[in-house]
Amino acid sequence: MSSTISLGTDEPTGTWGRVRRTASRRTEGRGIVLLTFIIIMVALLEPLALTAYEVTLGRIALIGIVALGLTAVILMGELDLSVASTLAVAGVIMASIPDLALGIVAALVAGLVVGVINAFFVAVIGINSFIATLGTLFALRGLAFVLSNEAPVSLANKDAGIAFGQPLVGPLTPRILIFILVFIAIQLFVSRVKTGREFFAVGGNRQAARDAGIPVNKRIFTGFMISGFVAALAGVINTLERTTADPTAGSTVLLASFAAAIIGGNYLKGGRGSIVGTLIGAASLGILQVALTISGVQVPIQQIYIGLILLLAVTTDPTSLRAVRGSLRTFRQSRMKTPDS
Amino acid sequence: MRRSRVTFAASVLAAAALTLAACGGSDDSSSADSGSDDTASEEVVEDDAADDAADDAADDAADDAAADAGGETYEVYALLPQGNDQPYGTTYLPPMEAKAAELGINLTITNSEYDADKQASECEVAVAAQPDGIILWPAVADSIRPCLQAANDAGIPVWITNADVNPEDADLTYGYSGTDSYGQGAASAEMFCEFADGAEIGTIQVNGLTGNSVATLRGNGFSETVAELCPNVTILAEQPGNWNKDESQLAASEMLTANQGNVQGIYAADDTMVAGAIDAAKAQGLDVDGLIITSIGNTFLGNPLVASGELDGTVFQSSSWDGENAVVGIYRAMTGDTSLGRDDDASVLYMPNPVVTIDNWDAPDVAPEW
Amino acid sequence: MAQQTAPSEAETPTQSESSRLAGVLTWMSQNGIFIFTAILILFALIFVDGFGSLMNITDVFHRAAPIGIVAVGMTFVVISGNYLDLSVVAQVATSGVILIAVSNNYGLFPAILAALAAAMLFALVNGTAVGIFKANAVIVTLATTFIGLGLLRLFSGGSIFFGPPDGPVRTFGLGKIGPIPYSAIVLIIMTIVLGLILNRTNFGFLVRSFGVNESATRLGGTNTALVIIGAFLVTAVAAMIAGFVLAAFSNTAVSNDGVGYEFRALAAIIVGGTSVFGGRGSVYRTFLGVIFVSVLTNILVLSGISFGYQQVALGVLIVLAVSLDALARKVAQR
Repeated sequence: MSSTISLGTDEPTGTWGRVRRTASRRTEGRGIVLLTFIIIMVALLEPLALTAYEVTLGRIALIGIVALGLTAVILMGELDLSVASTLAVAGVIMASIPDLALGIVAALVAGLVVGVINAFFVAVIGINSFIATLGTLFALRGLAFVLSNEAPVSLANKDAGIAFGQPLVGPLTPRILIFILVFIAIQLFVSRVKTGREFFAVGGNRQAARDAGIPVNKRIFTGFMISGFVAALAGVINTLERTTADPTAGSTVLLASFAAAIIGGNYLKGGRGSIVGTLIGAASLGILQVALTISGVQVPIQQIYIGLILLLAVTTDPTSLRAVRGSLRTFRQSRMKTPDS
Repeated sequence: MRRSRVTFAASVLAAAALTLAACGGSDDSSSADSGSDDTASEEVVEDDAADDAADDAADDAADDAAADAGGETYEVYALLPQGNDQPYGTTYLPPMEAKAAELGINLTITNSEYDADKQASECEVAVAAQPDGIILWPAVADSIRPCLQAANDAGIPVWITNADVNPEDADLTYGYSGTDSYGQGAASAEMFCEFADGAEIGTIQVNGLTGNSVATLRGNGFSETVAELCPNVTILAEQPGNWNKDESQLAASEMLTANQGNVQGIYAADDTMVAGAIDAAKAQGLDVDGLIITSIGNTFLGNPLVASGELDGTVFQSSSWDGENAVVGIYRAMTGDTSLGRDDDASVLYMPNPVVTIDNWDAPDVAPEW
Repeated sequence: MAQQTAPSEAETPTQSESSRLAGVLTWMSQNGIFIFTAILILFALIFVDGFGSLMNITDVFHRAAPIGIVAVGMTFVVISGNYLDLSVVAQVATSGVILIAVSNNYGLFPAILAALAAAMLFALVNGTAVGIFKANAVIVTLATTFIGLGLLRLFSGGSIFFGPPDGPVRTFGLGKIGPIPYSAIVLIIMTIVLGLILNRTNFGFLVRSFGVNESATRLGGTNTALVIIGAFLVTAVAAMIAGFVLAAFSNTAVSNDGVGYEFRALAAIIVGGTSVFGGRGSVYRTFLGVIFVSVLTNILVLSGISFGYQQVALGVLIVLAVSLDALARKVAQR
C-alpha cells in the first residue's frame, strides 16, 4: 500500500468522537442501513407489511430463530449446515411421541445431541465444520424420512397445536415471543457471560485463544449445542403450529438464515459480528419477503428482486467500497510495473 | 467524512433497488389485467419507471371504468406450492389468470415450493390482507387446518384446488376442484392390472419427490390398488425420480440392473419420469414393447410414447381445467353461489381421470397440455 | 504435510516403529481418498450383485459425469478460499435449457454461444462481487442463484424442453466408448485440462496461493481481482458443460435440473481432500471424490435401500471418510 500511515491525527475526540469510534467498531452498520431503507420503502409502497406487524414478525421469526442459533457457531468461525435437517428431525421425533410434553423434551434433547455430534467431529476429530455438518445435513434429513416413513406425521394432540398458533400477548403468538426470548438469551450470553464472550476470541484467533487459556473445545461444544437446540426448538414450534411434522421441513430456512447472519455483519471466518446484526438481517429479509408477497409481483420476479437486493447489500458496505478502491489502485500499479512473463 | 458519503451511496442504491421492486409491484396489484399482462409478456423483465407510471395511470382508469360500469373487482390470494418452477404449474397459471381477468378478479399469487411452513406464513399474510377470497392448493394437507381456521375466523371464503384437504377439514372450506392424486395412482394401477391379466409380473416403481404429498398419494394409490386387484404383480423395487427425467433414468437403470431378468413391468408417477425409465430400459437392451409400462399425465413427453406403443397407458391430467376451475370455484364462493361446508353437489369437482392408451391417444379431449 | 525424518541410531526400537507407523499413516492421510474409493469398489464388486456389469459401469459414469464436471470446476473457487459457488445450480439449469431451446430453433452453434454468454455473465457478476468488492462468496452466489433462476423461469416459463430424437444433442448423449459414455470422457478430459491449469499455469498458482494467504498474494502486486473472476469463470464454464451433458443424457431440459448439485459437488470436493479453507487440494482429488460419492450412491440404489436410509448412509460415510483422513493426519503428526 502506498498511502502514508498517520497515527493519531484522525482520532476523533469528545463525545461525538467516542460515538463515532464505537460506531466504526460495530459491524451492524450495513444491516441497519439496509433495514432502514427497506422499512421506509415498504412503508411507502406496501404498508400492509408493517401494519400487519404480527404477520411480518412471524415471518421474521421463521428465519430468525434458526439464524440466531447459527450465529453462535459463526462467531467462532465454524459453520452449521445441519440446522434445517435438525429442525425436521426434531419435529418428526416430537410428533411421533403421543405424549406432548415428552415429545417436546425428546425433540429438544435430540437437538442437543446433534450439537454434540457435530462438535465432536469438529473439535475432537478435527474435521472442518463445513464437511462435518454437510454430512449431518444428509444423515439427519435421511433420518427424518426414515422415522416418518417419508410422509407427514400428525400430532396426537392437535388442539394444543392450534392453541399454540393463537396470539398470546396482544397480537403476538408464542412463536414470536419465543423468538424474542431466544434473542435476549443468546445476546446476553454472548455479550455478558464470560463463556459467551470467549466465542469471539475463539473465532478471531483460535491459537491465541488457546494460549490465553480459553478451553476452545468446550466452547465449540457449547456453540454447536446452542445451534442444535435452537434448530430443534424451531422444529418444535413449526410442528405445533402446523399440527403436523413434515420431514421435508426447513428447505428454505438454511440459506435464508445464513443470509440473515451475513447481511447483519457477521464474518463467516469468525471473530466479528453480533447477534443484534443477525436480528437486523432477519428483519430485513422478513419484511422484504412479506412486502413482495403482498405486492403480487410474479414469483420469479420476486426472486430476482431478492437476489438483486442481497447482491447490492453485500457489495455496497464500506468494507467493500474500500476494497474496490484498493483493487483499482493495485490494478493501476500492476499496469505501471514492467510486465512479467 | 468518507464513511458517511459511502453510507449515503449505499442507501441510495438500496433505495433505487427497492423502488424498482415496488414499481413492478404496484403495477400488478392495481390492475385488473395484471394476470394476462404477465403471461403475455413473459419476455419483459425490467419495466421502465416511465412505463410503470403510464401503466399505473391506465390501470387506475380501467379500474375506475369497471367500477363505474357496475362490474366488481375481487381481490383474491392464490396460495400455491408450485408455479413457474414446475412444468405443471407453468401451464396451470395462464388459464387461471385468464379466467380471473375474465371474471374481474385481481390475483395475488404465491409459490411456497412445497414448504409447509412457508405456505403457512403466506397464509397469514393473505388473511391479514383481507382479500375477498383465497384459493388454496395445500403443500401438505395435514398442516393446513390452522390456515383454514384463520381464514374462517376472518370471514374469508377458501376454495381448495388440485390437492384436497383431509376429510375432517373439509367443512372449513367452500369447495374443491382438482385431481385426486390417490385416484390417479389407482387408475394407473387398474390399467396395469388389466394389461397384466393375472400373470406374474415383477415391476419397478419410480416415485416423485420424497415426502411430496402428490408423490406419496400416487405412490400409495398405485401400490395399494395393485396389491388389491392383481396380487400376482410384485413391486420389486421403489426409488424416487424426483419428477425429473435424468434422475428417473438413472434410478430406473439401477433398479433394472439390480433386478435383472425379473422385470416385466414399469410404473412411474408421471410421464416425465416414465420417459426416463423407458430410455433406461432401451439402453439396457430390453424389449420395451414387451414390458407393461404405465404412468400419469399424458404430457407432451408422454403422449408420443403412447402413440408409439412404448408407453402402454397413462392418465390424462389437465392443468388448464385445474387452473380455471380454481378461479370459477372461488368466484362462486365469493358471490354466494356455494357456501361453507361444501353443502351442495357442485362444491366438489373432481377432474376426470381418463385413461389414455394406444386406442385414444389422439382424441382431442385428452390432448396434452403440459 | 508432515515431514518424516529418518530415525537416528540412538532411537529406541519403539520409537523407530512408531516413526514407521507415522510414515504409513502420513501416506494414508495424503492418499486416503484413493484407498477409500478402492476399498469401496472392491467391496461392491464382491458383495453387490450387478455392480460390475458393463451396464452398471456406464450408469456410474452417467451419475458421475455432470456432478463431476461441476465439481472439478468448482474446485478452483474452493481452493481460492471462497467456500463454494452456490449458483452452479442455476447455471446448470440455464445452460441445459439454452442448449435445447436454442438448438431446437436456431441450431447447435448459436446455442453454445448463448450458453457461453450466460456463463460469462454469471462469472462476471460472481467474480466481480467477490474479487473486487470482496463480498462474501456464499451470499453473492446465493443472490446470483436467485437472480439466475428467476430469470430462467421468467424466460423459459418453467416448461420442459426436449430435443428431437435424432438431433446432435441426443447423439452425444447416447454415445459411448466401450462402457464409458461420452459424458464421462468429457469429465476425464476436463479433469486433466483443469488439473494442468491449476498446477502448471501462473493463473493456477495464483488461485492456490490466494487460498493459502490472501494478503500476501495481494501484496505481490498482481491483479488478484482478475484471479478470482477467473476462478469463477472456470466454475461457470464447467457448470455450462455439465448442463450440456445433463441435457444430452435425457434429451430434455427444465428449470429445476441440477437441484442439489451445489452441495453434492462440494461433498465430492471435500471428500477428495481439498480443504474448504482453500490452498490445499487438487482437481485430481476432486475427481476421486466424485467417483467415491457416485459409486456409493450407486451401491445404495442397487441394494434396494430406500431414499431415507440412502441419505443417512451417504452422510455417515462422508463424515467417516473425512474423519479417518483427519485422524490419520493427526496421529502422523504426533
